[in-house]
Amino acid sequence: MKIAGKLMLGMIAGAMAIASLTSCTTASSAADDGKTFTIWASGSDNVKVQFEQQVAKFNEIQDEYEAELQFITSGTGAESLSSRLIAAYQSGQTNTDYDLVEASDSEVINYLNQCGEDFFVEADTASMENYSNLQYQPSVGQEYYIPYRGTTVLLAYNSDTVPNPPTTAEELYQWIQDNPGRFAYNTPGSGGAGSSFVQTSIYNFLPEEALSSPDEVWAEEWDQGFELLESLHPYMYQSAGKVVYPNKNQGTLDLLANFEIDMCPAWADMVISQKMQGTMPESIQLVQIDPAFTGNLCGFIAPSFGTNHEGAQAFMDYMLSPDAQNIALESMAALPVIDFSLLDQELVKNIETLNISEFRSSSIGDLGTQINERWDREIATLG
Amino acid sequence: MDQERKNKVLPYLMLMPAMAVMMIVVIYPIFSCIVTSFTQEEAGGFGFENYLYFLADPMQLTNIGYTLAIVVITVVLAVGIAYLLSMYLRFSNSRVSRWIGKLYLLPRFIPGLVAVNGMITIISNSGLLNRLSRLFGMDWELGLMYDAKGIILMNLWFNIPFAAMMMGAAMSAINDSEIEAAKDVGAGKLKIFYKIILPLTYRDIFISATFVFMSNISSFTTPYLMGGNYPTMMGVTMYNLYGNQHFGRSAALSVIMFILSALSAVMYIYVNMRKDQWEKN
Repeated sequence: MKIAGKLMLGMIAGAMAIASLTSCTTASSAADDGKTFTIWASGSDNVKVQFEQQVAKFNEIQDEYEAELQFITSGTGAESLSSRLIAAYQSGQTNTDYDLVEASDSEVINYLNQCGEDFFVEADTASMENYSNLQYQPSVGQEYYIPYRGTTVLLAYNSDTVPNPPTTAEELYQWIQDNPGRFAYNTPGSGGAGSSFVQTSIYNFLPEEALSSPDEVWAEEWDQGFELLESLHPYMYQSAGKVVYPNKNQGTLDLLANFEIDMCPAWADMVISQKMQGTMPESIQLVQIDPAFTGNLCGFIAPSFGTNHEGAQAFMDYMLSPDAQNIALESMAALPVIDFSLLDQELVKNIETLNISEFRSSSIGDLGTQINERWDREIATLG
Repeated sequence: MDQERKNKVLPYLMLMPAMAVMMIVVIYPIFSCIVTSFTQEEAGGFGFENYLYFLADPMQLTNIGYTLAIVVITVVLAVGIAYLLSMYLRFSNSRVSRWIGKLYLLPRFIPGLVAVNGMITIISNSGLLNRLSRLFGMDWELGLMYDAKGIILMNLWFNIPFAAMMMGAAMSAINDSEIEAAKDVGAGKLKIFYKIILPLTYRDIFISATFVFMSNISSFTTPYLMGGNYPTMMGVTMYNLYGNQHFGRSAALSVIMFILSALSAVMYIYVNMRKDQWEKN
């Protein structure tokens, strides 16, 4: 009887575990009182930390709405947020809890291409009191897409060893050849910084509109860019006599922080936050070159199949307030989209030398994957 | 319910939860992976396209060969060193051996990712060893990062304790009385090794080799963080294929990996089933 008792206990424990799991999934569809709305976002942990602070602040300063966060950590193998949204739209769902969704401008273009304008609710910008602060306009969908932060790849360099950094792409390529082994970029499949270097090296030879087109015809014009990458290959960082492209954005940053290289393409926010944390030496500086590396605006859209559009709009408005912009800057070194003079000047010190006039966004869809594969085949194998 | 029937049903009842979990998280994914591996990306329908891709592409063949080379070297070195280590721990009674006996399992309690990053900060070209060497006016660049040597070094760090633990169990099964009896009739150290220790433990050498082989052929963290760009180990290749949305190809690669592991499992079973002359009644 003893064994049967244990079995029983196990079953009860199992049933309880299942019950607690299901209660997790139902909790998100909280009371439909017109007050609560859900914000959806995905990305790395720093984005999550930022959103947790923003939601807490938003809920604290006003009583009209109650924001809830649904965060999908990137790389967890979960179906991506954008494919969930597109599926919800295409299956004709209404009154979902997709009230407000964080999206980059390339994602917005993707929604637009796959679903059309009916996907979005137009934002009533006239009634948003902080909207006039906004200094950047997205390349598409100004009526329904409200950016709140920028993110861009810049050239990170060691100002001790490189007093006069390159200012143009041509100068950069020349510098790489003049200083063998002192430059590295991460494999384009493993992170956006390397991928931005590769994409701009290729697309600088093409008309600018190519960078916002997923049309396969452009793939035929990549040869010149790949020849450039091949000619730069022997001058890249070397370990044990072999050229090496580190994996992941952090891989090149580690080399930079340890002075094994003097320069690399890097996400501005990664370098700035690591400088704030003290893991990146003070001598590491950032500069934009011309033509620029790629970057993105990040913002919000309210899908038409969401429920609480008013709450969503209130949050979009809040995110353009100096308070919210300070939080974004402090928690994840997000580049502010409002005038720097409105912000906490202590925080601005970290970014004041950056002069980003525009974000050169890349939305080439599947072509990005094709570039990575061709790079794996033609450049990584050069040895 | 009469006692006899209960005794028949109860074991199956107790196996059910484990079986159900196995079905959901192991058997079903394997099945679905095999189906995916035969789903053709280009020609559509079912066929061998994804497998032919690995057999026909010199780049992928190099990757597979590179993986096997690293794994075989790891197995030979890890098992060899672990065998010597476990023998030392068993037969030496010095203070050093007691300390090693306490410490050698420590790596097993350190999470993999932490260990790999720790190793990188020591052996990288600007790592601890390099900095120490610079204190003495030298500039060692070990060149272990982004190289097969670094991966093997890390694999040894993970696998020597594991293999030593398995063989330590076999060593402790040897009775002191057997060794002493052999000594009494005048056997030398080498003779004791060949006639007593080796026959009693060779099976565990193969078993631990099998386990080391299987856990390393599919390794990802170490080669991803420490390996170069080309060739890549199969785990990294699979990750890249999957990231580029070649689901069929990455499934085919996992089946290939599965087959390689299965081959080593066959050896495991063969060694386990085999009865030596002296074990037969």
